[in-house]
Amino acid sequence: MTSDSDQNTMRFDLLKASLADGAGARLGRLAFSGSRTVETPTFFAITSRGAVPHVTPDNLEKHVPVQGTYIALEDFVERPQANLTRTPPIFKTPATPTRPRPLHNFTATPYSTLTLLAARRLPAVASPQGNTPSGISIFTSTGFQTLSTAAYQSAVATLKPDMAIPLADLTNSPTTPNSKRAARMAERTEDWLAQWLLSSSSQTASSETTTAIFAPTLPVPYAMQWEYLARLADDFASDIAGLAVYSSDIIPDLANHPALAAKPRLSLDAPATPHHVLRQIALGADVFLLPFVNGVSDSGVAFTFQFPAPAAAVSEAEEGNGTSLLPLGRDLADPSFAAQVKPLREGCDCYTCTAHHAAYVHHLLSAREMLGWTLLQIHNHAVVAEFFAGVRRALAEGTFAEESGRFQLRYEAEAPAGTGERPRARGYHFKSEGGDGKRNKKGWGKLGPDGEEATGLEGRVGGLKVEEVEKRLERDLTETPVVPDGGGRELEEGGFAEIEKK
Amino acid sequence: MTPKTPSPASKPALKFELLAKCSTTRARASNLTLPHGPVPLPIFMPVATQASLKGLTPAQLEATTCRLCLNNTYHLGLRPGQPVLDAVGGAHAFQGWNHNLLTDSGGFQMVSLLKLANITEEGVRFLSPHDGSPMLLTPEHSINLQNSIGSDIIMQLDDVLVTTSPDKERMREAMLRSVRWLDRCMAAHARPHDQNLFCIIQGGLDLDMRRECTVAMLERDTPGIAIGGLSGGEAKADYCAVVKAVTELLPEGKPRYVMGIGYPEDLVVSVALGADMFDCVWPTRTARFGNAVTRRGVLNLKQARYADDFGPIEDGCGCVCCRPAGEEGALGVTRALVHHNSAKETAAAHLLTMHNVWYQLNLMREAREAIVGDRYPAFLRRFFRDLHGDKERYPAWAVEALRGVGVDIIQDD
Repeated sequence: MTSDSDQNTMRFDLLKASLADGAGARLGRLAFSGSRTVETPTFFAITSRGAVPHVTPDNLEKHVPVQGTYIALEDFVERPQANLTRTPPIFKTPATPTRPRPLHNFTATPYSTLTLLAARRLPAVASPQGNTPSGISIFTSTGFQTLSTAAYQSAVATLKPDMAIPLADLTNSPTTPNSKRAARMAERTEDWLAQWLLSSSSQTASSETTTAIFAPTLPVPYAMQWEYLARLADDFASDIAGLAVYSSDIIPDLANHPALAAKPRLSLDAPATPHHVLRQIALGADVFLLPFVNGVSDSGVAFTFQFPAPAAAVSEAEEGNGTSLLPLGRDLADPSFAAQVKPLREGCDCYTCTAHHAAYVHHLLSAREMLGWTLLQIHNHAVVAEFFAGVRRALAEGTFAEESGRFQLRYEAEAPAGTGERPRARGYHFKSEGGDGKRNKKGWGKLGPDGEEATGLEGRVGGLKVEEVEKRLERDLTETPVVPDGGGRELEEGGFAEIEKK
Repeated sequence: MTPKTPSPASKPALKFELLAKCSTTRARASNLTLPHGPVPLPIFMPVATQASLKGLTPAQLEATTCRLCLNNTYHLGLRPGQPVLDAVGGAHAFQGWNHNLLTDSGGFQMVSLLKLANITEEGVRFLSPHDGSPMLLTPEHSINLQNSIGSDIIMQLDDVLVTTSPDKERMREAMLRSVRWLDRCMAAHARPHDQNLFCIIQGGLDLDMRRECTVAMLERDTPGIAIGGLSGGEAKADYCAVVKAVTELLPEGKPRYVMGIGYPEDLVVSVALGADMFDCVWPTRTARFGNAVTRRGVLNLKQARYADDFGPIEDGCGCVCCRPAGEEGALGVTRALVHHNSAKETAAAHLLTMHNVWYQLNLMREAREAIVGDRYPAFLRRFFRDLHGDKERYPAWAVEALRGVGVDIIQDD
């Protein structure tokens, strides 16, 4: 089964599907220009302001085995107070015949890594302003602003990502929209996509710099969007390279539209755990974005899971307890790792595990050294990449359903909670709604004049004003104190000095 | 004070080979071979305080051409602590760094604790900053911990005072005590075969006291010699006078380390005065505030004018960040990218850290090449021209210090 988009931007070959209509778990291959191919199911790393958190581009290329990154336009188009009308610098990024993609060039993303541009971060902060018929509300580091469909399309044309998701009318709220709202979401998204394809057909792009379009499907019941999906299948199927699926519940219903069945499905229905990933793979999702990976690294946890799950006997010996489930990861902030001269996971061949050991990562976490989170990001992305490789092997061998069931039985439901202190908030990781708990204890002076927390939604992050967030980051980045805190007992046990005997 | 018996600690675990001397100034180029490999001198040593250089992997630090960096003994004693260091087999294995390490004695931390510290002949008595427990730090403690760390160069515990202290008597006491403590450090040093203990010359800004200390320290015949107690806010001219007075008395065949120095101007002048090794947290600290060190001076890339500056951090720089993308292993990082993420994503700080460390090491590499080619005076003139442009802006202390070793940087080539 092959689906060629007319633009020849990206090809998707279904190598093996459990069902003839493309439903159910499936093995596939995305082929981009320049003979870059991506075996699916797979995942792309999620960036913050164009960077995979804590990972510089050289480390990304050498040590993080992901083939693509998810980049949000809202991370680049803030309007500084001093210059409210400026053209965002990213749109002025130069390109050359050998480096033709400004999005790569601005973010220094290696060309071996594919870029996927969307308007909003994942997960996106809900906007109090809502969307309008002409565009959506986005959240930048200087606050909420509107992004019109035309401006977004122009941004995609200028920045030339390898892949892009056109605007969808989403609420970004955990509650399901009422049927009236859901119907309007489908109508607007359909209108916006029709406009997009109409105006892009008038543009010509060279085959080297085309952008594969992943048309959004909506997080509403099939009944509310089947007309939109029918239009996608009937009128737009040849113009779109794939589908951006905001709710995986819709995937089984895609079988009703044969023209869409063989399109690659990019899941934006971010799974919370590897178990959820397996469930979505079973439904037929092909490419994943996994916010939990960045989150788990920040919490000081190293993943240890494998697919297929190890045979019971081996792990019983490891665990010393035949009945318990295997943990998905280890909390490296735990003191038991202080002298653990072993890899983060036995047998892992990632950079972190081959160059370092758990004791060092434990030290970096307890000393709040930034390298700790870098090494965890490298390791955790590598573990997840290996998990997907295992899934693809199982799909090829026809053992996926069985191994998937075994994995669910062998492993705990969730990764352990990390006890290490998180890195300071960067950018706008967090929901902007007031009253959210802080993710670390308050460690930095007063939050507003006279110690009162400033209120108001604009420019606030996780209950903090953006400038406070930046101050916290600054603390993270400042020099280790010349004399760090250390009690007498710690100093004596550490060998630096002795407690004076009275 | 003469040493009682020759100590095995005076037997070097290093090889020092003088390659060239500037025919005008006292600048020297040499090769220092330490237990973890060769280091070209003069050299700048970045500071990886807690066994990590601010977000860089050891491989990234290696890519800056760094082959010798610092760890701080006090910090490693606190975390991970001696038992872990012993279990893991020392700081090299602990941090995955296969090149050289230098550790301080922990004495510098005592300067900051001076309010709480009381120095006695036995050692430094201080209150733990965390819980106020009364503590004693002796020369033996410091050396014992540095032996566990396993650093290639270890430093004696000294009695440090701020150089600007007006109490001459106390300064002299500290100087003499530092000499006595060196003897105790040498006696306590358990690994002279693979760790080099350096003495630290003290004596404040009093040149005679510095000379007296130098003579006494030289009698102990350590593998290398450090000049300490500087970079504490003294006038630059006073600093230069001390370095010059001390290097005059030093033997040619040993490395000379001036502690705590890192501004590019200070480095090139100190090299002219005959010093070989320097360390400072400034280049890596300032990176985290968005500051790029370049031959034209320090650029604060957080400023709005860099928001759409698509040039490299520094034109012509050979670091991983600045070389144009497309070249092998080069990233093509722009000022605009650093501006975009400065103080927002830590990765931007890591990029600037890599650039700044490269800059410092490359500056010393260029100085070395100039010394080998006997072009150091011309190198100095070019350095100050690039940095300040207008000669009116050259700092007087540097002009004077360099005149003192035969170079007039105001004059054209």
